[in-house]
Amino acid sequence: MDEIRKEIVNIEKSVERLKSLAKDNNAIKKNAEIILTFIYILKFITPAIEE
Amino acid sequence: MEFWNAYTETLPREKLNKIELKYFQDLVTYGKTHSNLYKEKLKGLEVGDIKTFDDIKKVPFTYKEELRKWQENVEPFPYGGLLGVPMEEVCTFRQTSGTTGKPVYVPESYESWQWRIESWCHILFMAGFRPRHRLFLPFGYNVYVAFWEAHYAAEKLGCEVIPGGALDTKGRVNKIIEMKVNAMAGTPTYILNIAQEAMGMGIDPKSFGIERILGAGEPLPEATRKKIEEIYNCRMYDHIGSTETCGFAGMCEAQQGLHVIEPLFLVEFLDRETLSKEVEEGEQGVLVVTPLGRHSFPVIRFNTNDVAIKGASTCDCGRTSQKMLEIVGRVDDITKIRGVLFSPKTVEQLVRSEFPEIVEYELVVTREGIMDKMLVRIEVDPKLGREEAEAVASRLSERHKIKTNLSCTTKIESPGTLPRYDLKAKRFKDMRGAH
Repeated sequence: MDEIRKEIVNIEKSVERLKSLAKDNNAIKKNAEIILTFIYILKFITPAIEE
Repeated sequence: MEFWNAYTETLPREKLNKIELKYFQDLVTYGKTHSNLYKEKLKGLEVGDIKTFDDIKKVPFTYKEELRKWQENVEPFPYGGLLGVPMEEVCTFRQTSGTTGKPVYVPESYESWQWRIESWCHILFMAGFRPRHRLFLPFGYNVYVAFWEAHYAAEKLGCEVIPGGALDTKGRVNKIIEMKVNAMAGTPTYILNIAQEAMGMGIDPKSFGIERILGAGEPLPEATRKKIEEIYNCRMYDHIGSTETCGFAGMCEAQQGLHVIEPLFLVEFLDRETLSKEVEEGEQGVLVVTPLGRHSFPVIRFNTNDVAIKGASTCDCGRTSQKMLEIVGRVDDITKIRGVLFSPKTVEQLVRSEFPEIVEYELVVTREGIMDKMLVRIEVDPKLGREEAEAVASRLSERHKIKTNLSCTTKIESPGTLPRYDLKAKRFKDMRGAH
């Protein structure tokens, strides 16, 4: 699960960058925001357990 | 055994509790900063006060009446103090059915809606819905949340969804046949109505080839579930949820109760008298529900008024989530008649399990002087003769007395007299307060 969590964070960083690169393009920005919605869900369903 | 999320669905109890505590703390923090309701309601409470799972009980319940109050004449219209995100983020409007009073308006942001759909994917997947299914939703979905979640979640799972609105029941029967539908979701009442309509058209519902059905919108007593399985020769599953909470528990293929969808939801089973103690396995508890990841409409410790029997955290399916063995009914539905506690569900169980000749029924309680009177109105299979129908009515009165400890009068009505419902059947009418 650690590998999966790391990958989710990598995608998040990549999409945030995509969003900032496309700040003048509504279509790209909105689609990037939608990917971030699913990043939120992916994080929520892969919780790390604090020992 | 297949899981929708093999990681969360098989976590041990102590780990689930840790995750849910953390999510609960995050939600309290969120509510205190983003929702006017919780800014006010949780004024004297700091998130640091919630250190253990038991500390969750320090947070007061949220009641439906409170949700109404925080919406009435409160900006921003129409969500008032319940809104948890900027208005610009709201993408979908939903409302509660208004069965118990003024409807509550529910804002969904894209994120919160997708979170809600994720929880519904659990419900459908647990019940065996897969991409091979062509799912028919025989309901005109609209301002209510009903069936929208099923629609979107089924799409996400990869099922082929056929929306069944704007058709009458006959039209729906024809559409089921035309499209070779092999799965459905609907209220148990309406699923039975479809079968009845088909039989009236000379079609055996078994010939549809429907493999599985998910019940929605109404309680599904075991006898009704089995009756539908028999009529359609299919498997029928149940779930529980509401507009305020989302669907928070579903039945797996083992069909031994409902699994709480953890850790998306925190569900407490609290004793009915004091609402302060978690009940033991096998006991009845009031369900208090917190959807842990929804931001557009944060709801913390919502008292659903639903009563369920708490089950184990083990199941033949391998899931470790908390189970509820049976949904007993709503606190408001359980009433005293002539001093005897009465649940309308008992009569539904009786009718569905022992009286296949009864097509539809309704219970009416009135008061004459100081005496409560119970009338059971029934419609029987039109093929029965007068004498046979009267024998059914007489047997029902006897069995009713045995099952409920209450005597009743049974009246045979003409076919089509009693109302038919496609959402939230109201077969129990308590007229004792009416004049």
